[in-house]
Amino acid sequence: MQRVQKVRRVAVQTGRGYAFALCVAAGFLASGSMARAEDPSSWREIETKYIFGFTLGSGIGLEGEREVTVDSISRFGKRDGHYAASETKYEFEFTPSQFIQIEFGALGSTHDIGGVTGLDNRSQIALSGAFAEFRYLAIERTSDNPLAVTLAVEPTVRRIDETSGERVQSFEFETTVNADLELLRNRLYAGFNLLYEPEVTKTALGDTQREATAGGSAALSFRILSNVVLGGEVWYLRHYDAANLTAFTGDAVLLGPTLFIRFTPKMFVTAAWNTQVWGREVGSPAAFNLSEFQRNRVKLKFAYEF
Amino acid sequence: MTALTIILRKPALAALCAIAVLQASASHAQQATEIRLTYSKGQFQPSQVSAPADKPISFRIKNLDAKAMEFESTSLRVEKVVAAGSEGVVNVRALKPGRYEFYDDFNDKARGALTVQ
Repeated sequence: MQRVQKVRRVAVQTGRGYAFALCVAAGFLASGSMARAEDPSSWREIETKYIFGFTLGSGIGLEGEREVTVDSISRFGKRDGHYAASETKYEFEFTPSQFIQIEFGALGSTHDIGGVTGLDNRSQIALSGAFAEFRYLAIERTSDNPLAVTLAVEPTVRRIDETSGERVQSFEFETTVNADLELLRNRLYAGFNLLYEPEVTKTALGDTQREATAGGSAALSFRILSNVVLGGEVWYLRHYDAANLTAFTGDAVLLGPTLFIRFTPKMFVTAAWNTQVWGREVGSPAAFNLSEFQRNRVKLKFAYEF
Repeated sequence: MTALTIILRKPALAALCAIAVLQASASHAQQATEIRLTYSKGQFQPSQVSAPADKPISFRIKNLDAKAMEFESTSLRVEKVVAAGSEGVVNVRALKPGRYEFYDDFNDKARGALTVQ
């Protein structure tokens, strides 16, 4: 019991550690911006895809541009025991036209689970699947129109279950609408996502499970330096035990800060931390929805363009 | 199974590809407006250019400097490296009225803008 509590403390502290690091970096960069006032009108326009954290902006890159990326999402905290899991995309993305972006790559996952009701204890690292993403810019921003909208589909196959770490055969088809608004030129941006993510999973015992996640997000990002963007986002997510959204099982609201830093014209990092601030499970009086969602999630993405 | 078969079995992918192909072909069917730029001593000449709306544009960039430059624009959504002493062509879709900035990605001081009206 003491060990479980200790490990749980470590998991929580890890999540808080990420958040603390994010806040320290943000504070440091914010103080830097105050020290040297820059004129935003002289800044280059920014690519908005990665400035909103988990929320994706409308950007599709530049025609002819290629990018390699390591994009990791870690999740911490269930109702009991200790739970830490991550999924990392090792991806290649390119923009073959001024309207289309294509990404594909492999997925790696880690699971460190102990004493969580409904999940087997495990500690593992695995190559867990593959994905591809197709993005189409439907509405483009101009100097007269601040709104841009991109439609995206992302088929994903997994051999390791994202939540439990069990061996499965799973197919997911994420569809999203990524919209953003430039509220103040070169300075302030609002981002909005709509998400529908049906998934079918065949377990090791041969059972077939169908589920879906649907929801949306809103984000606000402020460019404090020409290469640094700070912001916050809120997500509302609903989970169903059917792809057609008929068997509602619970929902949750997640909230947290975001950070984007472009180190060089060809290299950037984006980070975000979301914590569940409200949630409910159908048939359970407990606070939060920790069956379908986690208490904390952290995103860290590093990209190099060429 | 061919790539075409896979795409045709996925209606969303097929729709995306069809839209992209239609947009690309519609853009190229029109005569492009050619804009000639030279890049010398780390500056574009001219740095302010204009073009009519709803017609594709073809930038022809001659790099007179002794090192490579990268013609790039976030709002035009293009980038192209032009080697020292050579010429590069960048084709842009038909544009709506507005101002579109471009720059040399290797040189922060080299800026220019296209006004479409």
